[in-house]
Amino acid sequence: MGQDRVIYNRFAGGNQNIYPESGQLFGNVGGDREGLVEERKSRERMHREPPNGRGAIVMENDYSNHYIHTGKTPIQHVRNVANPMDGYPKLQKLHQLKRNQIEKHATKSFGCRIPSEKIVPTLKTWIKDFGLEFDVIMIGALVENQFIQPLLYQLPLYRLCAKPGFLFIWATTQKIQELTKFLNSDACNKKFRRSEELVFVLVDENSPYYPGEGTGRQQPLFTRQQWHCWMCITGTVRRSTDNHLIHCNIDTDLQIEGSDANAKIRNNAVPPSIYKVAENFSNSNRRLHIIPSRIGYNLPVRLRPGWVIMSPDVLINNFDPLTYEKELYSKSLIKYKQLNNTQKPQFLVPQSNEIEDLRPKSPINVK
Amino acid sequence: MIDTNSSKIIGYFFLEHNYDLLQEPIKGDLKLTFNTFLSYLSSNPFKSYDKELSYLPFLEQLHGFYQVSGKALEFNFVFDSEKQREKYRGLKVPRITWINTQKITILLDRLEGKNDKICYKVSNVVQSEKDRPNREQLWALLSQPFNTSADIELHSRSNAVTVFNTDFNTLDQILKKKTAVSQLAKKKIALKTSVKPFYDVCDNTSHSSTLANLILNKKELRNSTSDSTQVYKVIQQNRNNMSQEVYRCSHQKIHFLPIFNQNTDLSLGDCSYLDTCHKMRACRYLHYFTLQPCAAKYNYEDSLKEASKKALNHEYTIGQSFTDYQRKVLPPQWIKCDVRYLPFSILGKFAVIISDPAWDIHMSLPYGTCKDFELLSLPMHELQDEGILLLWVTGRSIEVGRQALQNWGYTVSDELIWIKLNQLKRTIVTGRTGHWLNHSKEHLLVGIKGNPPWINRFLDTDVVVSGTRETSRKPDEIYDIVERIIGLHARKLEIFGRDHNIRPGWLTIGNQLSGYDLHERELVIKYEEYLNKREGSKPLNR
Repeated sequence: MGQDRVIYNRFAGGNQNIYPESGQLFGNVGGDREGLVEERKSRERMHREPPNGRGAIVMENDYSNHYIHTGKTPIQHVRNVANPMDGYPKLQKLHQLKRNQIEKHATKSFGCRIPSEKIVPTLKTWIKDFGLEFDVIMIGALVENQFIQPLLYQLPLYRLCAKPGFLFIWATTQKIQELTKFLNSDACNKKFRRSEELVFVLVDENSPYYPGEGTGRQQPLFTRQQWHCWMCITGTVRRSTDNHLIHCNIDTDLQIEGSDANAKIRNNAVPPSIYKVAENFSNSNRRLHIIPSRIGYNLPVRLRPGWVIMSPDVLINNFDPLTYEKELYSKSLIKYKQLNNTQKPQFLVPQSNEIEDLRPKSPINVK
Repeated sequence: MIDTNSSKIIGYFFLEHNYDLLQEPIKGDLKLTFNTFLSYLSSNPFKSYDKELSYLPFLEQLHGFYQVSGKALEFNFVFDSEKQREKYRGLKVPRITWINTQKITILLDRLEGKNDKICYKVSNVVQSEKDRPNREQLWALLSQPFNTSADIELHSRSNAVTVFNTDFNTLDQILKKKTAVSQLAKKKIALKTSVKPFYDVCDNTSHSSTLANLILNKKELRNSTSDSTQVYKVIQQNRNNMSQEVYRCSHQKIHFLPIFNQNTDLSLGDCSYLDTCHKMRACRYLHYFTLQPCAAKYNYEDSLKEASKKALNHEYTIGQSFTDYQRKVLPPQWIKCDVRYLPFSILGKFAVIISDPAWDIHMSLPYGTCKDFELLSLPMHELQDEGILLLWVTGRSIEVGRQALQNWGYTVSDELIWIKLNQLKRTIVTGRTGHWLNHSKEHLLVGIKGNPPWINRFLDTDVVVSGTRETSRKPDEIYDIVERIIGLHARKLEIFGRDHNIRPGWLTIGNQLSGYDLHERELVIKYEEYLNKREGSKPLNR
């Protein structure tokens, strides 16, 4: 057996060149079996034909092959980057209506400029002294070293995040394992379920979002063109019944750089289209974005209406819990939810009948 | 040439009138500048300055100032006192084109005796009143790359400190610069890779509607299954009914011709399913016919041969097999088997493994699924000592997959994304393809085991864009990408493959294949030995 292992080892790793190719070494044998010859021939014929089998001549474009020869990234051939809903007027209308509604009811833009080490204590005072809660919390930005992990372990997320609540966490491929560990740990009590993995794809290496070739011990195999954002849910929401809280299937889990929503802003800590996904999904009006570390070079932290953005780098520092609360009450639709004999307010973006007609719905099971 | 006093006066004059001189109507014209200078003199009582200054002496003084200040002024001609007359006589209007206020400030400070350490800060903030930065400018400023600088101190052994100045932009560029290895490897792979026919999509809607009107109404093409040679015959027949431009474009680019049926309601927009729609005739949404030019016969093996010939001339050979050009790619090999029970030890070792398990994702699917624990307990360590493993995952199984890779001794190095395109080369945005959000992509986890020195990095990007085909069928681009990483002749294995997955150079195993076909002698012997053994114990069902 040991002898065999030695021989087989030769075959692994194509660039260990001292060994001749296996087939030549021993001659072809397998095909001589009766009954198989015909079958094999037909298979080989199939192989010579283009892989898609749609007639012998038409071949689908191979964008990866084209990239090798021209350097034009495959993503640049996608035809609906600028307007993702191209060809779907109803969906476009829905997006327009949602946008108007969200803009109309958004609180003014708030920024809270604060050094990294003060983020957790400040959030704790917001919870304790002002009873602030948020429905949508985004953490992190498009930077490699953002020290999300210590923040996550120190932060009383379950108190900061309303129930039901939605978490959007940015992570690179390398950091995803740490994140999984956190979500399964006692620190977060397994209260957040990972429900979607959003991906933001950038155009090419000249993009302000290009992450570079990676600096960690483990180098990637490919030129990187993507950022991941995990969407987690806490509490119970049902997509069939909770349409005042969430609207499902309005956006996709893929956002590409250069879409309409990004057009105005070339560089930002977080691409505007991802904020938009969060806003379209959750109809709640309290949104917080925490960027725990300085993100530095060439990605300014801009404000966005309807969001409180907390970062050492945010451009404007105007947050004050009382003003924020006032804004919330004046801009949102308030619904009271019965919870253990207390009335808990929910701050919502009101929806119109037109939106309700247009939005994708779960099929109703008819027997 | 010029005395201290005159230098000061000229210096202050330029500092004060910096903007006026360069703007309309003066625009740096030397004669007008001279006039301005005269009025400057008369409005400011300077002692010991010749009030009756004329143009030529002024030029002499200016030249002196020009030299003393270290060329703080720039002209649209060579300002040289000896030859000045000849030089700028040819010019219609001799002009000052730029005033370096920095240098003038330095000169004046020196002349005033302020030569203690003064920092001269470069600022690109606009100074004039009316140009005070407003929101738009601030916005524009933010969109630009920031210009920053840093002093870097180097401490040598002898405690001497060297300080040199650099800016982050430069540093960033240096850090991001591609190494020679990756640049050369990219060039080499471009030579080695066969060029596949490629067609752009024509975005001119008038082309597609012209073509649609001419072609789609023809009787012989009524059924939409007609193949493209037939369509091009019709185009040929109707050549006179369309412009040269449209005719040429129809042979060079892909066109999507709208199909109008009796039921088509244009206001509804495109069908979510397009060419995969089951009720094409009855569907009220718009469908399209793809008109794609025919490629001259493209033969995989020929193009491969040609490509390898081209690559011979390239002298960069790192990570390359030196018998590449003599070796032939093995024909496809496959074994129909239940992957859970096949002893992996008979297969040998592989440089790369691709696996597309039928994950149990709690949905009713037209094929049998595989339980998580069954997958996790596969003895993958028998197949690879070092190499890469690619695992297709979806939804819930993303996490299981990551865990599996870790358990098998791999580190997840990349996550390849397949962006699914529909018939119109657009991403899929409708049709409730996911639970909370729609899904337009699939994930392929890439794990590395050991530290294989024979892999080529950074040749492809981690985003694959390709059209959808039958349910759960993955894009073929992945095979090429893998072959670029590990070389054409490495041993390659696909687990849970189906008939459409078999490929030259690959061994495919899975329960939906038919029979087996093997070419590697060792493998044949081992497998038959295994079959015989099994036959001995229980009846063989192949």
